[in-house]
Amino acid sequence: MITARDIQVRIGKKPILHGVDFVAKPGEVTAIVGPNGSGKTTLLRALTDEIVWTGQVQINGRDIGAYKTWDLAAVRAVLPQAATLAFPFTVIEVVRMGLRSGIHGDRDIVAQRALAMVGLGGYEQRFFQELSGGEQQRAHLARVLCQVWDPVVDGVPRWMLLDEPVASLDIGHQLLIMRCLEDFAKRGGGVIAVMHDLNLTAMVADMVTIISDGRVIASGPVKEVFTDASLSAAYHCQLRANTIPDDHAAFILPQVAQSVVSLRGEAITVAG
Amino acid sequence: MTISVDIQTVRRPMDRRTRARQAHIWLALLLAAVSVISLATGPTGTSLWVAMVKIIDGEPLTAMERVVIWDIRMPRLILGIAVGAALAVSGAVMQGLFRNPLADPGLVGVGAGAGLGAILAIVLGALLPLWIAELVGNALVPVAAFMGGWLSTIILYRVSTRRGRTSVATMLLAGIALGALAGAVSGILVYVADDRQLRDLTFWGLGSLAGATWSKVLIAGPLIGVAVLASLFLGRGLNALALGEATASHLGFSVQRLKSAAIVTVAAATGAAVAVSGGIGFIGIVVPHLLRLATGPDHETLLLNAALLGATLLLAADIISRQIIAPAELPIGIVTAVLGAPVFLWILLRRRGLVEM
Repeated sequence: MITARDIQVRIGKKPILHGVDFVAKPGEVTAIVGPNGSGKTTLLRALTDEIVWTGQVQINGRDIGAYKTWDLAAVRAVLPQAATLAFPFTVIEVVRMGLRSGIHGDRDIVAQRALAMVGLGGYEQRFFQELSGGEQQRAHLARVLCQVWDPVVDGVPRWMLLDEPVASLDIGHQLLIMRCLEDFAKRGGGVIAVMHDLNLTAMVADMVTIISDGRVIASGPVKEVFTDASLSAAYHCQLRANTIPDDHAAFILPQVAQSVVSLRGEAITVAG
Repeated sequence: MTISVDIQTVRRPMDRRTRARQAHIWLALLLAAVSVISLATGPTGTSLWVAMVKIIDGEPLTAMERVVIWDIRMPRLILGIAVGAALAVSGAVMQGLFRNPLADPGLVGVGAGAGLGAILAIVLGALLPLWIAELVGNALVPVAAFMGGWLSTIILYRVSTRRGRTSVATMLLAGIALGALAGAVSGILVYVADDRQLRDLTFWGLGSLAGATWSKVLIAGPLIGVAVLASLFLGRGLNALALGEATASHLGFSVQRLKSAAIVTVAAATGAAVAVSGGIGFIGIVVPHLLRLATGPDHETLLLNAALLGATLLLAADIISRQIIAPAELPIGIVTAVLGAPVFLWILLRRRGLVEM
């Protein structure tokens, strides 16, 4: 379980998060959604202890500050929104950086299987910097998968904290990666993902937290949280949560017929 | 009918890691070979082979043979290996720390500080109280260089560390300022120096292993040895650092400890190397770069290979410097610069447009 209580973050004098509570359980994919600049990434960075924050964050029942860096890395892996790379490493060399001692099975095979899982089988000896943006993102995800290869170790769940893991991927690879995350959760691990695509979130996530202007608007199972009211309030525009009849997954469409506010501040009406 | 093309072997060359590990053995053999040549080379015509045969046959060596091989060439060989390994490994560590292939140990301020220390000792050494002069004897220049190197590293580290976090970018900029300051003070000293002192400090700046003695080996050797060995353990951390500081920390590395360890080992190794050999350039940049081209940037293998190749190249440069105008000697810094500068330019041309901080 990852729990965060009363997380407050300021950057300079500007408050970014105003006392956010957040819970994620192992065995579930927990999504954090919200508009640009709402504080999603900031919340994730507080959970990964990357920025200065106040409040309380616990991983598996233990305060995050009580972990040594090395021990913390044994229970959670982090995928940042944009990761840089110095020096011409090959793809397999980057993925191997995620490997830790104490992995069950052959380490090199783990790295290769992680690459295959993100659809990069055969890319081992390519130079990382020569890959496209989406391929680089998937290679980094393979590195993250390596770091927490076994979702549960000695009864303790391990975690993936991902900042927009599918942001620059095509629709096929978005689905592939989301299935990967689902599978990790099904096998007992925990996944926290900052998400942009609400429909993909509705399809894959078990729980969702909506953040807007540094506050939690709603939090809980996707079907309860993705309502017209909460989404419209969070994103400051009219949204309607629909349901696909076959499997009751929600899908969200912007309501173009509603009056929207133009950039100049005057109300305009779009015929629909 | 199906035509099977073995795409696997076409697309996947041998994993560079295997090649890099094999290189440990090849480079060690190469170093051994160059070491033998170094022991056998010198202007006196003393033959290593004759001496070896005598040792095997149990015959006594002549006094000349003992002095030349044991007291002159042997300490020079060991010092050459230590200095070459120190400069190359320090270069590789600095490049990993600064995440830039053009970084060199000078960036932690060792070079400027050591240079200033050496010039102070050469120009103002005569003004020291007698007891200090007697205590350090003719090791005054190396001791002053080492202390100068350390002092400037400590200042630079303090300036660039706030609330327990060291900013390598601040360190780079502060290093430029500190280097300019050290250069200005050196300039004043050069201005007041007499002709003999000017000659001394010019030669110090060009670098040489000519002054190698057993006492220098015993002072600098263990320090360099420990620092080089310690830095070999930084490989995994430096690899993670290539992904950025935040990701390195997510991977479980204490970034601040990694930085401190890198700076301390580099300052110790380079400080000691510069103190005993003067300013020898380019080894720290050229060696890691050649290795990265050949076997990739993986620091877990790169650091040991850099130590071996650095030692080999410095010994080779030393042999050239002893032979090219024998019986006189060319300062080794000239040899490494003549060989290293074109390689450095070639690196810049190859990477044109990619050299960004």
